[in-house]
Amino acid sequence: MFSQQLVNGITLGSTYALIAIGYTLVLGVLKKLNLAHGELFMVGTFAGIGMAAAGAPIVVSVGAAFLFAGLVAVAIERTCFYPLRNASFLSPMLTTIAFGILLQNVATQIFGSDPSRFPDTGRSVELHIAGLTISALQVAILVTAFGLMIAIDVLIRHTRWGIALRATSDDPETAAQHGINPSRVTITTFFVSGALAGVAGVLTTLVYSQVTPLIGIRQGLIGMVAMVIGGLGNLRGAMIGGLAVGLLETLNDAYFNAGYRDLVIFSVFFAFLVLRPEGLFPAPGGRS
Amino acid sequence: MNIYYEGVLASTGINILLALSAYTILATNRLSLGNAGFMAIGAYVSSYLTVNVGWPLFPSIAVAGAAPALIALAIGRPVLRLQGIYFVMVTLAFGEVTRTFFQNFEPTGGAYGMRGMSGVTIEMIYAFVAAFVLLYVAFDRSRAARLTYTLRDDDEAARSIGIDVVAVRLIAFAWGALVAGIAGALFAHYALYIESGNFNFLISASAVLFVILGGVQTFWGAIIGAVVLTLLPEALRFLDAWRLSAYGAILVAMMVLRPEGILTRTLLRRLRRLSPR
Repeated sequence: MFSQQLVNGITLGSTYALIAIGYTLVLGVLKKLNLAHGELFMVGTFAGIGMAAAGAPIVVSVGAAFLFAGLVAVAIERTCFYPLRNASFLSPMLTTIAFGILLQNVATQIFGSDPSRFPDTGRSVELHIAGLTISALQVAILVTAFGLMIAIDVLIRHTRWGIALRATSDDPETAAQHGINPSRVTITTFFVSGALAGVAGVLTTLVYSQVTPLIGIRQGLIGMVAMVIGGLGNLRGAMIGGLAVGLLETLNDAYFNAGYRDLVIFSVFFAFLVLRPEGLFPAPGGRS
Repeated sequence: MNIYYEGVLASTGINILLALSAYTILATNRLSLGNAGFMAIGAYVSSYLTVNVGWPLFPSIAVAGAAPALIALAIGRPVLRLQGIYFVMVTLAFGEVTRTFFQNFEPTGGAYGMRGMSGVTIEMIYAFVAAFVLLYVAFDRSRAARLTYTLRDDDEAARSIGIDVVAVRLIAFAWGALVAGIAGALFAHYALYIESGNFNFLISASAVLFVILGGVQTFWGAIIGAVVLTLLPEALRFLDAWRLSAYGAILVAMMVLRPEGILTRTLLRRLRRLSPR
């Protein structure tokens, strides 16, 4: 029973990790919060649902979510961050809230405010391994989410883009002096952050079945909690933070009280910020 | 008065109080995204007192101001040590903890919310607005205001002229909580029904947007921001279901085109020169 909860928690947590990674990448590069980040989850979900409703297979839905949420993230960067690049961090942050209101309302106009879902994809095959029940869907989610996490980790550590991103995060001026185009790094970072949140949206909705256009508010906050637990600007910290929140949620629902789920998660969020704002794994350079 | 216009007028008054609450904290160089939490505490405490305990309205409103202020004082020291993005997030966390607490707290109705409150009229809301505006006008002319506003720019400079930065910021935080709590009590006894969802993250965000878009340099900016942004969605009613899209887009445009807000000190000075003495 407990190990079953662990599997469920890690599955849920892997989708939270995808949200948290995007949050932390943007924060690392710009030192600013994108409070419309949760809306990228929502936008990706509905792009996926739209494709599925048109008869496309799930793989295409995931691809559409990746691309569309990534592009919306770039649009957010161009409208909310780039024009306000010299203003205090408050201005773009509040602008992203307004952009979020816009995205929520547009999605409501297209998909309605009632819960939407993926068309019935058929009963998923269930695998029984060592007393655990894992649906094929869960396996697909775990493979996709962890595949993306490993891919992003490798990209950041070993590619030119990753080096440029880390250099810009550490010291944008020196990075620019060494020929790194900060604008290009920012745009690609936003694209990746949106794409991951969008995929997380489709994966989550496939398992938990229903979404409304307001889902992004909660998912964005949960991603922020995961980011803070892992330590701001720390990529692997965000992954572990995501898994931690997923486990916390699942264990709370199984052994405590599902009604208190968000109260528990947000209390942990508050406690972390007061007692250990640098998170479990402070980013090198100690920024807090 | 037409019931629709009266409703809009009431929200405008309550939003002015919320904007003043956000302004006060922002004036000490901290941006709170959790003032809906203080508003919720004021709303629920006063409603519990009038509905369940049978208190008269005014003492309950007073307690609705005092309760969140005390909570702000209690959490203030550790919370105000944080700054920048960290302070934004910790206040956001506070707001969400408060909201989800009331969502589950049975004595005040839990997920079903609370009803049975009454007694606040539109005149009463504006009496409170007028009283607070007078307080802010008086405060603005005082020496205390000049001391407070030095925190806006630079803590070190403030310290060097002998200001207890921690104490001033704590008082501003508690005062902001008090104003939000009173706004909550007025809201609850005007709206007649409250539920935890009334005090969500977007309410905290709006309070700050009023201040930023109105102009952070003087409290009049906060008031103008609250009035303009409360009336704007009403003026967009002709767009029907799309009005929130237009509202969001206009806010984005305003932020990008005039990040310093509608009302700046320079503009205020120019207006004073125009007006005959």
